[in-house]
Amino acid sequence: MNAIEVQNLHKSFAEIKAVQGVSFNVSQGEIFSLLGPNGAGKTTTISMLSCLLKPDEGDALVMGHSIRKDPNGVKSVLGVVPQDIALYEDLTARENLTFWGKMYGLRGLPLKKRVNEVLEVIGLSDRANGRVGKFSGGMKRRVNIGVALLHKPKVIYMDEPTVGIDPQSRRNILDNVVELKNQGMTVLYTTHYMEEAQELSDHIAIMDHGEMIACGTHEELVQIVGEVDRITLTISMLTGDTDTGKILMAWRAIDGVREVSTDEGAITLLADDSHRVLPPVFEVASANKVRIIGADIQEPNLESVFLHLTGRALRD
Amino acid sequence: MKAVDIALKDIKRSLRSAIALIFMFVIPLLVTGMFYFMFGRGSSEGEFNLPRTKVVIANLDKNAPRLQAGRNSLPGGIEAHTMSELVVNILRSEEVSKLLEVSLVPDASSARAAVDNQKAQVAIILPVDFSRQFADPYGQAVIEFYQDPTLTLGPGIVKSILSQFMDGLSGIKIAVNVAFDELEAKDYALVNQVVQQFLDTSNAQQKDVATALLDERTPAKVQKKAGSLVSVLGPLMGGMMIFFAFYTGTASAESILREEEEGTLPRLFTTPTAQATILSGKFLAVFLTVLIQIVVMLIAGKLIFRVDWGDLTSVAITAGGTVFVASSFGLFVNSLLKDTKQGGIVFGGVLTLTGMIGMIRIFAVNAPGTAGMTNTVSLLVPQGWAIRGILQSIDGVQGTQVLLNTLILLAWSAVFFVVGVWRFNRRYI
Repeated sequence: MNAIEVQNLHKSFAEIKAVQGVSFNVSQGEIFSLLGPNGAGKTTTISMLSCLLKPDEGDALVMGHSIRKDPNGVKSVLGVVPQDIALYEDLTARENLTFWGKMYGLRGLPLKKRVNEVLEVIGLSDRANGRVGKFSGGMKRRVNIGVALLHKPKVIYMDEPTVGIDPQSRRNILDNVVELKNQGMTVLYTTHYMEEAQELSDHIAIMDHGEMIACGTHEELVQIVGEVDRITLTISMLTGDTDTGKILMAWRAIDGVREVSTDEGAITLLADDSHRVLPPVFEVASANKVRIIGADIQEPNLESVFLHLTGRALRD
Repeated sequence: MKAVDIALKDIKRSLRSAIALIFMFVIPLLVTGMFYFMFGRGSSEGEFNLPRTKVVIANLDKNAPRLQAGRNSLPGGIEAHTMSELVVNILRSEEVSKLLEVSLVPDASSARAAVDNQKAQVAIILPVDFSRQFADPYGQAVIEFYQDPTLTLGPGIVKSILSQFMDGLSGIKIAVNVAFDELEAKDYALVNQVVQQFLDTSNAQQKDVATALLDERTPAKVQKKAGSLVSVLGPLMGGMMIFFAFYTGTASAESILREEEEGTLPRLFTTPTAQATILSGKFLAVFLTVLIQIVVMLIAGKLIFRVDWGDLTSVAITAGGTVFVASSFGLFVNSLLKDTKQGGIVFGGVLTLTGMIGMIRIFAVNAPGTAGMTNTVSLLVPQGWAIRGILQSIDGVQGTQVLLNTLILLAWSAVFFVVGVWRFNRRYI
């Protein structure tokens, strides 16, 4: 069963078309990432799915509740982690969680118990009574996530939750996301970090200029563009009479190597599987008295997929 | 219940803010305290006394036409044979002795020197032909008023007393001049008769010169409380309380904009909490914060400055109306703003302007003859109505007058509330 079904969402702000005909499905218990550069329409999509913005066109079902017809139903099954930290800095972590718990309808002992559980999950039990304003960026991010977990939602939206934090806190948050999935939650995750989407996601939708330009598993996306491994070699000649053309021919003849080219001293090989072709590449070099002093292997990734689809790098 | 949770959270945040606490409690008490010490602190009887202003008078008036007024006809039963003596004796009368300490000097230079040497705050010089000029239909009687330029309050009081008395006499003189023009006769005795008539009338109307001149607001139907010579501190504290209550209302309501910018308001909208509940909670927080402030200020005024706020029911009704109007005014002002950056500028301007207009009747207490105008002007803003209510309560007014004033406050509140809520709803839906 799908936890989220998005059907042809449109949203414009004056002349700007922020989201144009976005559709996708998210299965229950999976992590689904919306990947795209800033301004791609990810946050607008999340805002519509959170019932913060009304779509101009289209609809979405969250656990069967329509964002148009039953926004309260949607909100009751939903936890939202906004992109910016949305906490009361002059309240303590515990006070924040208690307040937000009440907003999700929790009261009394169950609320108290759940606040303690969440503090444990986000690793801030020992700082529960510290004011959030005094916390580091990473700690604030963790409380920000904790708020969305209080009512044990079936679906959780996380809008770029790792922006601007230290590597340790980032690791902690990514581990938390995986843990949420393991607990059976459905996670809709937006990011412009390709590595995060690649590491976490069961399915990825790539967005650009308000449109969804590709959607699938990581492997499916890579296959869509048909990219191969790119091996960049830096070499030095052991003797002065080495025939470069001959070596290039020999490398091109290796099974699995598709193309060999040179550019300002660097040699680039496009191969189906870099791990398989590297040993014969080194053998050919040795036989022709050429020393390989550097080898950079770039496997096909979402960056290259985005580049292929849009002609721009993801971080442009 | 969620609305109460939101309100309690907001109040907790407000009470944790040092700046909010300073504006809510410290500044109004500090300003009132400054006036308290400026006016020489309260007396042991719980009254509030102004410091006496030292006045030196040089009466140079010679060979003046004699004033044909009997002792019993003059204010306070004082004796005077000339117009200049009348002026001197008015200033030395029993009625103003608590305000003025008057001494006589032989010449003008001694009088001015007393002020220059800071032995007196005001010198009054009655020129040689003062009475004659006054009696002359075409003459101009001028009093030289020489004061320490660094002082305002003491000289202001002397000026008020003199002005009020001289204004009445000037009116009479104009009437006499008109009569002379009509009669084509120049009978100085007639001037004295008219002055006599004025004195008889004014004496009958103004038994207590000091009370009349100091604009104590006691409605005709109300029994004035005994033992309150000058009620400066009560109105002032009331004014400060209302001025800053409006500030608190607006600053508290600004939390809606602030939460919008901090992202907590949009996050609230993602929870299963109705928008109406969220806005109700925010308004409740504003209301309760202003209520706390007003209750604390009323109690502090009573305990620290011994302000008699009047009948408990009257003050409670007025305070309630003030809380409503200050809260809804805050909601209304914020609903017009785009963000908190605009707020800083607008609050300073709007609150200071409307607050000053509302308090004009308190500040203009020393300006004779302006009470009607300042009262009307102050009622152009809601603060003016709130101040009117608190002054009514201090003056011991009860019943329908207080209720009527509070109903008007509630009408202001209703307008502000409806417009504010409508604009916020439009903004977030």
